[in-house]
Amino acid sequence: MKVSCLQENLNKGLGIIGRAVASRTTLPITQNVLITTDQSQLKLAATNLEIAISCWIGAKIENEGSITIPARVLTEFVGSLPSDIISLNLKHHTLELKCGRYEARINGLDAADFPPIPQVGDDFSTKVKAEDLKLAISQVAFAAATEESRPVLTGVQTEFEGSKLTMAAADGFRLAVHRANLIEPVKEKVAMIIPAKAYHELNRLMGNEDQEIEITLNSQKSQVLFKLKGIEMVSQLIQGNFPNYSQLIPQTYGTKARIDVAEFLRAIKMAAIFARDGSGIARVIVTPGATVEAGKITISARADEIGDNIGEIDALVDGEAAKIAFNARYLADVLSVVKQAQVSLEVSTPSNPGVIRPVGTDNYDHVVMPMFVQW
Amino acid sequence: MAEISKPSVRTIFHIDLDAFFVTVEQVLNPALRGKAVIVGGRPGGRGVVAAASYEARKYGVHSAMPLARAKRLCPQAVFLTGNYRKYVEFSHKYMAILGDYTPSLQPGGLDEAYLDVTGCENYGSWHGLALKMKQRITKETGLVASVGIAPCRVVAKVASDLGKPDGLIEVLPGEERAFLATLPVRKMPGIGEKTGKVLKTMGIETIGQLAEMPDSLFRSRLGEGMVWLQQHARGIDDSPVEAYGEAKSSSRETTFEKDTMDISFLKATLRYFAEKLGAELREEGKNARTVTLKLRYSDFETVNRSSSAREGTNLDDSIFQCAMRLLDKTLGNRFKPVRLIGLEVSHFTGGETQLSFFDAEAKRLEQLDRAIDQVRDKYGFDAIQTGYTLDLKQKYEGKMRDR
Repeated sequence: MKVSCLQENLNKGLGIIGRAVASRTTLPITQNVLITTDQSQLKLAATNLEIAISCWIGAKIENEGSITIPARVLTEFVGSLPSDIISLNLKHHTLELKCGRYEARINGLDAADFPPIPQVGDDFSTKVKAEDLKLAISQVAFAAATEESRPVLTGVQTEFEGSKLTMAAADGFRLAVHRANLIEPVKEKVAMIIPAKAYHELNRLMGNEDQEIEITLNSQKSQVLFKLKGIEMVSQLIQGNFPNYSQLIPQTYGTKARIDVAEFLRAIKMAAIFARDGSGIARVIVTPGATVEAGKITISARADEIGDNIGEIDALVDGEAAKIAFNARYLADVLSVVKQAQVSLEVSTPSNPGVIRPVGTDNYDHVVMPMFVQW
Repeated sequence: MAEISKPSVRTIFHIDLDAFFVTVEQVLNPALRGKAVIVGGRPGGRGVVAAASYEARKYGVHSAMPLARAKRLCPQAVFLTGNYRKYVEFSHKYMAILGDYTPSLQPGGLDEAYLDVTGCENYGSWHGLALKMKQRITKETGLVASVGIAPCRVVAKVASDLGKPDGLIEVLPGEERAFLATLPVRKMPGIGEKTGKVLKTMGIETIGQLAEMPDSLFRSRLGEGMVWLQQHARGIDDSPVEAYGEAKSSSRETTFEKDTMDISFLKATLRYFAEKLGAELREEGKNARTVTLKLRYSDFETVNRSSSAREGTNLDDSIFQCAMRLLDKTLGNRFKPVRLIGLEVSHFTGGETQLSFFDAEAKRLEQLDRAIDQVRDKYGFDAIQTGYTLDLKQKYEGKMRDR
């Protein structure tokens, strides 16, 4: 293999695939980066066996070939080089890099030993706008469980039906559901559980670029492929049955309050300061006024040894007075990802879940289980 | 009699029960009095001495010594497996007595506590106050305490230890350094075998010599992190008595009779611990967020692995399942014979509960635990058993060691 490319392209490419390099592993070659000539480009790939990321960079190919090189050494060396042309020359299993007056030789391992990056077929294929997918991921993936006690809950239930994409995640204490549109409708309904971790990576890979993301599934329905501009990411799917989440969303409420998101978030963050030492409890009291507009909400917290705080905000309140306690962090998490200026909060009893929805769109439901406290 | 000190000078009591576990056994069974008694386990086993009576100590038996060795040194001793629950009961009574004198009470284990009695001058002399406490402890519990009185914690601790058994030593303000000076360094809390050896190679054998070492030499030999030790040796210790803090963790562990690679036996032991710890949490109305597994292999390599959940639990099954995941991971990395296994729960949260969507399953387990607790409260822990622990029953014939 003999190729040359720009330092900044190689550096950027290594940065993109870097997150898929295995950190602790029993298979040492997964700590390497696969470098292959692919038509007139240079393909870089890494896998930790859960996700695999490949990306293509422009290069001048003199001789075809491929090799795997330890990711850390290569990434650090290339990152330190000046912005100039790098030539890569493979001699047996040693990759020789030259850039201006700097050069290095790094020992690699045979590309044939690298775990095959799964080829994902086209049994199922659809497209979605990056912008829509990013919003869906940011509003849903954080609600997935981080503990492994129920593996399916560490994933995001992802459903394709007609021209709708529905994503849902729940960690047992909260549930987030987001609905988005597909660019190309799907022929039949397909559901899969994609690890939340993979979605976080995908979000990072999409950047802020305006693009279409192609989603395909392999024939065994065990892996999903996301095709971006010059980048591909494959993720293993989580096997199992996701709980039937639609029945977790309350259909009725006793009190509905419409609240300014920024004000609500401020009050919750203040409560979190005092709630930190306890179990993070924010007590929410909704009080209707003489008219709907005259309603208010107080949010308070207390810590035995530190003290307490209380904040009051205006709200449009419809229904009866209500009090309910939530983990302040769960409220802060959802309020931080809502794009609209206002949300509605629906509650019924202190032991029934509360529902938060952005006002002005019907594409997002967020359900939070309360905390049982002595009032 | 000591002069009542100025308010800027603190007065700290360190109170420590003499041969606590053994004395409890002797109170409950007076026939054991005056005899060599060792609590820890069966002498054929591989556990260690948890406590030895003074009669047994004469033969060189001390705590943390392997039981087999204790048996060789003192074959006539009465060996008892011990009853942790009883010890906790006695400890509660003992701490309650101490709590009558000052709220500034910091327990260190079941049998010792620091008391900051500064400002309690109306009791008269410190010596008289200490005597009164000792008498009450013996009268109300049958136990015997040793007391050290000093202006700081470390000196009070050394003093209570030095006076044992049934001791009472008061170190007056200004005399701390002189009091410590002639004592061997090993009397100093924080100096174990290892540090003791390092000091010995430098010719340092008494606390006084340690106190007089030039600062720079001390730092270069023992490191910046040990500077406090030299301060302690000089009788200087500003650390406060931290009023009655609740326990930060709770744990169980056991050393096996024989090293084992039997997974189902390890599982059964963890299940037993999980049930014990779960019952303890439920009784105290607490939940724990963190579960830690401790394994010691036959080659003494020791591994601690923890897992923290966002929400606490006190369910036997949740604690057990978490312990199992940790065990799988740990043994997955290194599978060799296991000598000791332990389980700890920590990061306690109060009784407030985060409700869950999937409470139905949790509720079922909660009811199950509550039902088992009720049976055990009435008829004892062994009265009811879960399937997981059957292995243990066969092995121990119902005589499961408590700690």
